[in-house]
Formats: sequence, structure tokens, C-alpha cells
Amino acid sequence: MKPTQMDRLDFVSSIVLTIFGIAILVESLRMPRLENLKVNQFTVPGIVPGVLGLLLAVCGFAILVRSVKRGGWRLGITGQDTAAWVTSAPVQRSAATLGLTLLYALVLFPHVPFNFSTPLFVFAFVVTAEAMALGRWPKWQAMVTGLILAVLAGLIIGYVFQQLFFVRLPGG
Amino acid sequence: MDGFNSFLGALSAMVTSWAIIDVVWATLLGIVVGMLPGLTATLGVALMTTLTFKMGTDQAILILVCMYVGAIYGGSRSAILLNIPGTPANAATSLDGYPLARAGKAGSAMAIATTGSMFGGLVGMVALAFIAPVLAEFALSFGAYEFFWLAVFGVLVAGQLTSLDDPIKGWIAGFLGLFVAMIGREGIHGVPRFSYGSTDLAGGIGLLPAMVGAFGFAEILTVMRQEAYSVVHSRVDSIWGGIRESYKYKMTALRSGLIGTFMGLIPGVGEDMGSWASYAAARQASKNKDEFGKGSVEGLLAAETGNNAAVPGALIPVLTLGVPGSAPAAVLLAAMVIHGIRPGPLIMIESPDFVFSVVAMVFLATIAMGVLGLLLTRPLIMVLRVARERLMPIIFVLCTVGAFAIASRTFDVWIMVFFGIFGFVLRELKYPMAPLILGIVLGDILDKSLRRGLVLSDGDFGAFFVRPISMVLWVSALGFILLTMPSVRKMFTRLFNRDQADKQS
Repeated sequence: MKPTQMDRLDFVSSIVLTIFGIAILVESLRMPRLENLKVNQFTVPGIVPGVLGLLLAVCGFAILVRSVKRGGWRLGITGQDTAAWVTSAPVQRSAATLGLTLLYALVLFPHVPFNFSTPLFVFAFVVTAEAMALGRWPKWQAMVTGLILAVLAGLIIGYVFQQLFFVRLPGG
Repeated sequence: MDGFNSFLGALSAMVTSWAIIDVVWATLLGIVVGMLPGLTATLGVALMTTLTFKMGTDQAILILVCMYVGAIYGGSRSAILLNIPGTPANAATSLDGYPLARAGKAGSAMAIATTGSMFGGLVGMVALAFIAPVLAEFALSFGAYEFFWLAVFGVLVAGQLTSLDDPIKGWIAGFLGLFVAMIGREGIHGVPRFSYGSTDLAGGIGLLPAMVGAFGFAEILTVMRQEAYSVVHSRVDSIWGGIRESYKYKMTALRSGLIGTFMGLIPGVGEDMGSWASYAAARQASKNKDEFGKGSVEGLLAAETGNNAAVPGALIPVLTLGVPGSAPAAVLLAAMVIHGIRPGPLIMIESPDFVFSVVAMVFLATIAMGVLGLLLTRPLIMVLRVARERLMPIIFVLCTVGAFAIASRTFDVWIMVFFGIFGFVLRELKYPMAPLILGIVLGDILDKSLRRGLVLSDGDFGAFFVRPISMVLWVSALGFILLTMPSVRKMFTRLFNRDQADKQS
């Protein structure tokens, strides 16, 4: 039987999951037992995480066995396939979305004033996403609409949270 | 009768001009959120929680309930007009709604969906008013053993029903959620777990930032990965024919309302299964089975009645057990806690009026949904013409600011980002999100109940199995697991077939 894409993904993810479950189990066993405080042995902090680690490892191993039976271990990755995957439109759209959102959430939002960072992010996102959808730069009318949307979004969201809800946004 | 009087009292206290304005805008916003593919009811309620946390309790919860009811209904619009369910709860709606729209009956289809949703909401509301006080009183007899099994039952059943093709993935999602709840200082001895010296991690993972990430950011990544949906140019016929047609299938609507409410009651299962189970039952009972999937009025009515009936149904365990019946209900539970309400068995003792206030809120939201849905059939189609390229960055800004605003911590933004990427990967690997969230909510209950139960029984695990309610819960959980095993299912089928053969001979 020819393995499906999901069988291959299950093979890789179940290895990660099994190792993760074992790591939780080991960490739970290393948790303090509080013998010096003479606490009841059944209330030690590691009991529930330990059981969860064991369950995750067992379930992960079950998926691993299933994916091996279905031939998921034959990953069949070739350079050509990888290149085609990387250059495919969905992957490029995902990568651009991920890059821009991470840049905003982890760099711009905490460090740059909100009224500047937010319009910048919204405008960059709109232009990039429309350019990827069209396969060329958007027309100037679309760019202007994007800019107006970006400025308005920054002003309205900033006003609602800062002036109405008294939230002090980071970024100075 | 006492319940009905309490409901009328709560309703008359609530109906002020400001409350009506809140009901109208929040329900309308909910419908818009539900309509837009990529924006779910969970995300809508989570974002709205961050926007209402400085308001008074009743006003904030009213807005959230309206958002919840509106969003579950709004998803039917895109399911009918685009064949893309606006929320996962509307997947069954598209099976018959879209063929009806293609046949030039988009107006009728939307009217059938509105009538069904309204009826379902009212059936669920009556159940909420009658069952919640009784269940809360019954739950007063719950101890550590019962709460432990309730948490186990919730995670296992939610895992199984939200991942019918591959239940093991549903259970793994639930266990991962329970693990996330273990991070931070535990509640009995105050020992930090999995925090590695970080004071932020020692404080635990906040449910709201995690949900905004798992249902907001992950959804943005999913939507942007897919091809853009095409703009609709659908012909819309009269809505009145649809209302008349719905009336013909009143028994289907009633059955779907009851099934939807029951599915809502089961922890973590919620509107999606409410819709599918009602649809399946309607098909089973229908004289015109062949029409299902090709534009059946009965099918569309059942699906939409079922998902909206599940909304009040999902609120029953929230109020009486502190256990959410669905993912949006989990956010509502968190919002109630933020506003100083303690959902759980003591609710009828501590704040009995609140339960009937929620019933009144569901009633107002359902009426507003029906009226707005019917009046704004054509204008609401305009919402579907908003390009995702322009909508998604604004949603992401709201996710980021919303996650930050709850506790003014940048750490919560990181949590939102982490759960967004983690949720996206899990979705791509076909792991359901609802058990993950249910696990995060139930983790603390499970942890404390197991350890307290073991102390009470002096380490005898047998004590967990013998009390009557515990027994019902563990036997049901075990039954659910066994039924997923092909060999057990085959054995049951063979036994059933043999019985029938014996009867026939």
C-alpha cells in the first residue's frame, strides 16, 4: 500500500510526540516529593503530569506503529519535491504571513509606538498579500486604500484600548 | 413556575434602552464575525472578552452571549452563499444550503437557516432554564472522585467526538491541553511545575491568550494558506417562502433542537456535533433521504436548529459544573471568572439570579438574531465581499492587543503567538482544537481532584470506582473508548445482527 502524505506526517510527528511524552514523564519524576515537609505521598506535584507524560508517550507510540505499518517511514523526500514545495503558492503565502505577523508581535508591538507600528504592519501586510495574489504590485489606488485602512485601523484600535479601556500599550 | 417567574424578573430587569442597543450591535457584530470565513465564534467571543473586561458584569456577559449566538448563526450565510462554513459549526449547513442557493433559492435557504437557528436557540434556552437549577443542585453532591471522572470523561468524549475518523488524535489533543494546565504553580503545595525559573511561566498559561492564539492567529495562518474565496454574486429570492417551508418540518426542528441541546451539554463537544448529529437524525427519520446533500430543506433546517440549540446547551455545564460544553463556552467561562462570577455547583446558592439573567440574555440574543437575520438578508451579503488580504492584518492586531490587554503582559503576546503556530501545526496534522482547550480548562480540576481523592481514600484507587455517579461517568468513558476499537464494534454488530436473525427465524 502506498503511504499517504498524512502517514508520513504522522510518522514524523509521532516520534516528536513520543519523545515529548517521555520527557514530561522524566521531568515529573524529578519534581520535588516534599518529604522534608512530610506531605501526604499521594499529593506530590508530579503525579498528574507524570501520568499525562506516560499517556502522551503511549498514544504517540501507537500512532508511530500505525504509520510504520502503513509505510509512512518511507518519507521519499527528494530535492526536486522540496524545491517544488518551497516555491508553491500556499507555502509562500504562509511564510510571508508568518514573517510579517511575527515581526509585528515580537518586535514592532513591544518596542515601537503603537500609532506607528500598527499602520506600518497593516499596510505592509495588505500590499504583500495583494501582490502575492495578483502576481504583481497592486495599482496605486489599491495602495492608497490600503494606506487609509492602515492609518484608520491604528487610530481606532489605539483609541479604543488606550482611551476607553485605559490600557497602557507597550512601545513607548 | 418559579423558574418562569425568575426568568421574567431577570428579563424585565435587563431590558433597558442601553441593553437593547448592546444586544443589537453585539448580535450584528457576531453575525458578521460568523459570516466571515476564518473568523470563528470562539475568536469573536475571545476578542470581545478583551474589549469588555472593564464593563459591568451583566453588560459584558450580555455582549458576549450575543456575540456567541450571532456568530454561530452568521456562519450559515457563508455556508449557503459560498459553500464555505463561516464557523466549523456550519459545515453540515453547506451540504444542503449551497445546493439551494445554486438553484436560485438563496433567500429561502437563509430564511430556513434563520428560522431553524431561532427555534433551536429557544429550545436550548428552555432547557437551560429548567436543567441548570436541577443540575446545579445535583452537582452539590459531587466530590473529588466525581469531579475527577467528569474531567476524564470530558476530555475523552470531546477527543472522540471531535475527531471521529481518528479518536486517538482527539485524545492526544486533550492530554496536551491537560499538560498545558500543569505549567505553573500547582494549587495544593504551591510548587512551580515546568517553569524553569521563569516567573511568567510560574504564573501559568492564561486561557484567553492561548485561545486567541489557537483560534485567531492559527486561523489567520490557515486562511492565508488557502486559495482566496471568490466574491459572491448570488441571486436572492424572497425569504417568506423559506419561513413557510420551515413550518412544514416542525417535528424535525423540535427533534434537532433537543439533540443540539444534548450535544451542547456534553463537555467540549458543542455546536459542531450538535449540527452533525441533528442532520444525521433528520436524514435517518426523513421520507426523502435522497434529497439530503442535494438541497434538502429538512437537512438545512436540522443542521441550523442543532447548532444554535447547542449554544444554550453548552452554557448549562458552564454555569452548573464550571465545565464548558464547547470552545466558545470555555471563553465565556473565563470571562465570567474575570467578572467575579464563580460558575459551578454553588452558583444557585451564591448567585441564583445570574442563571436566569443568562437565560434572559440568550432569549434577547436569539430574538435579535432572528430579526436582524431576516431584515438584513441582502445588506449582510456585502460583508462577504471584504477581501481577506485587508481583514486578516486587522484581526491579527486585535489578537495581539487583546492578548496583551488582559494583564498588560508582553508574555501573553508570546503565549498567543506560540499557541497560534502550535494550533496551526496541529490543524495541519488533523488534531482537533476543542479537546486541547477543554484540557486547559479541566487540567486544574483533574489535578486537584485526583490528588485530594487519593488522600481521602488513603491511596486506594478503588474508591474512585464505587460511588454511583463516579461509576456512571467511568463506565461511560470506558464505553466510549471501547466503541472506537474496530474489533469491539464488529462484535456488537455481529451480536445485533444475530439477535435480528433469531427474531426473524
